[in-house]
Amino acid sequence: MTTNYKRVSGDAVEYEVFARKTRAEPLHQVGSVVAPDDDLAAAYARATYDEERWIEMTIVRKDHVIALWKPGETSET
Amino acid sequence: MSLSDLVLSIADNKQMLGLRYAEWATRAPSLEADIAAAAMGLDDLGHSRVLYGCLEPLGEDPRTPDRESDPASLRALPYFDEPWSEWGQFVAANAILDTAFTVMIEACVNGSVEVLQHRLRKMLMEERYHFLHGRSWLKSGISAEPLNRAWREAIEWFGPPDGDTAQLHADGRLSLGPKELAARLQERLETKAPEVKIDWKKWDPVRRRGRPGAIDERTFEMLRGLEEKRYAAQSKEA
Repeated sequence: MTTNYKRVSGDAVEYEVFARKTRAEPLHQVGSVVAPDDDLAAAYARATYDEERWIEMTIVRKDHVIALWKPGETSET
Repeated sequence: MSLSDLVLSIADNKQMLGLRYAEWATRAPSLEADIAAAAMGLDDLGHSRVLYGCLEPLGEDPRTPDRESDPASLRALPYFDEPWSEWGQFVAANAILDTAFTVMIEACVNGSVEVLQHRLRKMLMEERYHFLHGRSWLKSGISAEPLNRAWREAIEWFGPPDGDTAQLHADGRLSLGPKELAARLQERLETKAPEVKIDWKKWDPVRRRGRPGAIDERTFEMLRGLEEKRYAAQSKEA
């Protein structure tokens, strides 16, 4: 059964998914997926968020995003 | 066998692949994999519709009335005869058989037949994500049984070295012959196929498979719309 299945290609990590519908608008976050590698994350992002007519979709590992400040903080903190 | 026979075989196999994928839409190892199974199932069912639609422009539709009554008249591989009971069967089909169908579609798109060049190209873009999904799961390791079976059936499906696929390649209608298709599949999956000994005398050139058999009764009834009718009759009585 699937419950015994063990992924060995790495620990699953979270990827943020960004997309846009026109060239005029910037990429914006449309969701996230959890996957053990970039290939599977790409396949999952396309399968999950391809309901709309995006002209561009891209993914980025969440742990590669550098946070400058968070809610409740300011740029001076 | 003609090019139409080959296109019908791709269509029937993609239809069955799509149905078997869809059966895993709530059973895969993660929510993401569930959604991917559903999306890939929809893709392949859509691809089969496009392929069926190519038969008339090709000038010959090999579909016969017995497809309504005889499941053995469908041209899908033995791999799809029964629902899959293990995730490893899904992965082997996704990585090996789905990619085998894709390299054959590439051979059609890069061949000399205009209707296939135009209508099948978009499938290749969608198949890229099936490939990424299958290859990634394949790297995580699955048991040898479904893997070996999928390889065998893929190589059988490409056909014998002197069969119809080889002739279509020689005529320029396919850009690749059986040997090149097998090589492309291995190159794409970055792995070598296991040693497969095939008795081509037992191979069915119409169904492109080495074993008799047919899809299970319930799936066949669903394909014919009988499952839907069963529910429709109940709702009328209510």
